[in-house]
Amino acid sequence: MTFTDFLQLLTDGLVLGSMYGLIAVGYTMVYGILQIINFAHGEIFMLGGFGALFAYAWVPALHEISLWAALPVMLVVGVLVSVTAAVAAERFTYRPLRNAPRLAPLITAIGLSLFLQQVVFNFFTLPGESMGITAPVPFPQLDGGPLRLGGVTVSYAAILTLVVAAGAMTGLTYFVGRTRTGRAMQATAQDPKTARLMGIDTDRVIVVAFAVGAVLAAVACLTQGLRLGSISYNMGFIAGLKGFTAAVLGGIGNIRGAMLGGVVLGVAESLASGLLPHLPSLQMFGGSVWKDVWAFVILIVVLLIRPQGLLGERIADRA
Amino acid sequence: MSTPPVLEAPGTGTSPLLEARRVTMRFGGLTAVDGVDLTVGRGQIVGLIGPNGAGKTTFFNCLTGLYVPTDGEVRFDGAALPPRPAKVTRAGVARTFQNIRLFANMTVLENVIVGRHTRTTAGLLSAIGRGPRYRREERESHSRAGELLEFVGLGGQGNQLARNLSYGAQRRLEIARALASEPKLLLLDEPTAGMNPQETRETEELVHAVRDQGIAVLVIEHDMRFIMNLCDRVAVLVQGSKLIEGAPGDVQADERVVEAYLGAPDDEPPPLDEGDEAATRDPNQERTA
Amino acid sequence: MTIKMSSRVAQALTATGAALTLASPFLAWTWTAAYPGNLTLNGYPGGSQVVTLVTGLLATMFAAAAFGVPGVRRLAPAGAVRALRAASLAALTTTWVTVAAIAITLGGAVNVEPGGWLAAVAVLLLATGAHALADDTAESPPKGVRLPWAVEVALITVVFLAAMFVLTYGITTDSAEDFLAFLPAAGFGARALSVAGVTRRISEINARHRVAVAALASALVFPFTQTGDQYTAIADNILVFAAVALGLNIVVGLVGLLDLGYVAFLGTGAYSAALVSGSTFSTFHIAPWPFWATALLGMGVSLLAGLIIGAPTLRLHGDYLAIVTLGFGEIFRITVNNLDGTSGPSLTNGPNGINAIPDIELFGFDFGAPHTILGVSFGRFANYYLLLLAVIAVIVFVYARAGDSRVGRAWIALREDEKAATAMGIEGFRFKLLAFGLGASLAGLAGTVMAHLQTNAVPDNYKFADTAPPNSAFLLAAVVLGGMGTISGPLVGAALLYLIPAKFEFFNRYQMMLFGLALIVMMRFRPEGLVPDRKHQLEFHDEQVSGAEARQVAAEATV
Repeated sequence: MTFTDFLQLLTDGLVLGSMYGLIAVGYTMVYGILQIINFAHGEIFMLGGFGALFAYAWVPALHEISLWAALPVMLVVGVLVSVTAAVAAERFTYRPLRNAPRLAPLITAIGLSLFLQQVVFNFFTLPGESMGITAPVPFPQLDGGPLRLGGVTVSYAAILTLVVAAGAMTGLTYFVGRTRTGRAMQATAQDPKTARLMGIDTDRVIVVAFAVGAVLAAVACLTQGLRLGSISYNMGFIAGLKGFTAAVLGGIGNIRGAMLGGVVLGVAESLASGLLPHLPSLQMFGGSVWKDVWAFVILIVVLLIRPQGLLGERIADRA
Repeated sequence: MSTPPVLEAPGTGTSPLLEARRVTMRFGGLTAVDGVDLTVGRGQIVGLIGPNGAGKTTFFNCLTGLYVPTDGEVRFDGAALPPRPAKVTRAGVARTFQNIRLFANMTVLENVIVGRHTRTTAGLLSAIGRGPRYRREERESHSRAGELLEFVGLGGQGNQLARNLSYGAQRRLEIARALASEPKLLLLDEPTAGMNPQETRETEELVHAVRDQGIAVLVIEHDMRFIMNLCDRVAVLVQGSKLIEGAPGDVQADERVVEAYLGAPDDEPPPLDEGDEAATRDPNQERTA
Repeated sequence: MTIKMSSRVAQALTATGAALTLASPFLAWTWTAAYPGNLTLNGYPGGSQVVTLVTGLLATMFAAAAFGVPGVRRLAPAGAVRALRAASLAALTTTWVTVAAIAITLGGAVNVEPGGWLAAVAVLLLATGAHALADDTAESPPKGVRLPWAVEVALITVVFLAAMFVLTYGITTDSAEDFLAFLPAAGFGARALSVAGVTRRISEINARHRVAVAALASALVFPFTQTGDQYTAIADNILVFAAVALGLNIVVGLVGLLDLGYVAFLGTGAYSAALVSGSTFSTFHIAPWPFWATALLGMGVSLLAGLIIGAPTLRLHGDYLAIVTLGFGEIFRITVNNLDGTSGPSLTNGPNGINAIPDIELFGFDFGAPHTILGVSFGRFANYYLLLLAVIAVIVFVYARAGDSRVGRAWIALREDEKAATAMGIEGFRFKLLAFGLGASLAGLAGTVMAHLQTNAVPDNYKFADTAPPNSAFLLAAVVLGGMGTISGPLVGAALLYLIPAKFEFFNRYQMMLFGLALIVMMRFRPEGLVPDRKHQLEFHDEQVSGAEARQVAAEATV
């Protein structure tokens, strides 16, 4: 294990973590306002990738040009699919349950998650193939080999991930802090009742929160497709779990926390699977198959020692 | 503090039942309660009043174990108050809630029996085994709960669901449930909020009856008239500090109290609450929170 | 829904419809025996015709009650017309499904013989008439007459036997068509009994005598009705599924904690049993443990897992528990998949799992060998059936007793309002952990039996979502579909959710999708489930229930 190896692990973790952060924002925004965990967010993420792939596969013109040029089109379609699904889910499944007992939206979310996953499984079709998919589907790859920066290897897709995540976070910070809608969102998160009395259309704010989360999730899925070369209908499950862990790690309800939590989780995961093989007693657990287990262990440990997360405040009893 | 703390065995008669000394509660930079002293003697009814935002609820939460005071201490029955709500109840302090919080989908009787939780011991194994001790305990709980329902005037309604009781009856059920834990001190959080004058009078009688059983009562209220009729002693909290404490007549006559409530010296102190409490009448609204 | 017409006409329609409905199963509905169940014989009902006949009888009974026939009226204490309507819908749906299925599977309406057309018209007349009769629902149904002890117990036993017969019919249908005709009949039939006030009367009697034993006794009959192992194996799987769903219902229904990784506790129990079973694939090369010790071990290990997961999360907001258990379920699968000696320490034999688990031997009784009881030969699956019934009996016993005790009241109080419960001196964390641990260990117990029953423990049996039960999503659905907080709900839910995929193999591909949709729709429109805990029903639909009804409800125990 050289220092360069360590830097490599760190970089990989940073890239992975940026993507987790993008997913985590969706969880954190919805939770901050509605206090529900939108379990189906992992599927919203997955839909973004499939939307982008769908555009690429069915528009032959995109194959003629460089993938860099095709990306904006793919992104737009992916984002549209994710946002439509998220907004429809809010409108038709969560909203009617706003005054229902706590379990109802949670169970609905599970159902929604299964449903969306299976819709893709059953109906997503690539040109020239029969309806439905069973295995992971290949995702187009960016041309150009990986860059080598002082011994550390980084792919273009990885760099894109970092750039997009940084851009998205900057935009989001501006949106939440500076725009009218963003401030309405903050107010609603603080106290929905009062916000409504102050003339804020809280229903709209909630829809916006779902939509913004979906945009970032779609972006995240696109970068994952580019990095790993394939997407699959059930990728949302683990991604959603990681995104939620990141949100909790950063302090659920805190947007900057979500990104921080994502990065910390990504780096921890990368280091765990990279460093453990070098530890004599734990080397058996160092393989990549164990990385999800480590992410989960991190979640448990965080909940034990700092349940409010890294940047979270003590959750007050609103009742 | 110049006087040394009086050390006494718990349960003996001479010390005050509840003694809050210089209780201070800060949240970040905000001092919600600032050095409040308050004592409640055995068998006394003490009122705590103050305008909205005076820190009544925060102070109350310090007495129920929900908050641990940043500074100062609360002693109950000769010992420090434990820091968790469940343990406070076990120690002998029972409470009601400002916005009624019954177990809406349990029956009236079951609600009261849940109140006996700290005075019963059956665990999972004895519940499954159902030995003679378990059955005796259940019988006692049922009969004691029945008595309490009679006491608060809900006899014969034990099998209704709590949510189907009228508003006043729900308030009384909350008191019965609190009494089921066999408290030495009963904390009432705005017990007449949203009540009409008739219901308020009934509550007054009920609180007196509770006191006659030897249970001390601390009442937080907005309704001045109610407090003045009811209490042996009244403390006024303004902006986190205790403004005055004394007999109801003295407090009522004090100009500072009138000023604190109204910001003007002239008017007589009215009951301030009717309007803003109407919104909290429905206990089920709570569930959405 | 009510149809407007004069009451005389309505009565005539109903009577005619009922008579023809009863007659039609005795005619041929189709000409070829290619349709399952042989509906070609005159004078002898077969296959789905029997279902039409039974629902027709039910409708006739309630029609007689609605017309005021002396003595019969007592069969519908809460009002006969609504019951008649439900029964007529049972006849209508089952008959039309059958007739339509004949036309579709045999390729055209020409394959339906006159008898089939007659049946279709008859049930339509019956349903039309029933919906035109004036509603006679009693405001407050009269209190039931107390019958002598022996009569009441006998009555209950007959009812349970009838229910068992219906269930057995469902399990043993050997074609999708028959099952499709059976489902709506069973559903509307149950509804008819419910609105007639029959189920309420039964639960009253049940509460008086605590004849859960009768239910158990009627369940015991099932293996005696079976000659082969085919359906007993299905019944065994349903029982495993139901046992786990019941355990989950403690956690979800009573305490209101959403556990999404429950199947992992089943897996923990199964793997514990597999490891000490003496299987050659087990990494412990030991003599097989006696089953009672295995069961204790399975419960203990699952309990431990439950405490490890529960302790950090149960102090927090409930939603954290949901996601942590979801994660745990997945981690369990990954872990047992990789403890194979190459990608992790050697313990579980990786993806191949631990196979060739020998049969249970309990006090000299070999569950693998056939035994003869009362002249009936009990095969391997029948033996396990009995064992599983015992396991379910234990779980129901624990559920019922714990639920109605100081502990159960504390659980429900925590579900209802945690802050108020804490103010009553209930230590929320302790009681939640207790429920969570109890649920986990009951699942562990079921897991030990499951490992022996299936003779293996493999990681893929313990997923979050899959096309066949038990998995966490199915378990949750069984509880939600059946009815949270009840005993019979998860049993019904488990039976349905096992049978539907098993009988309709052709839509396996869409099954999970429909499943997700079903969860969403249930939460939106009938969150209390098919067999609601009456108190829960109030919680979900508070505005629709009158005070008078609520009072009665409150007096009733959860069945």
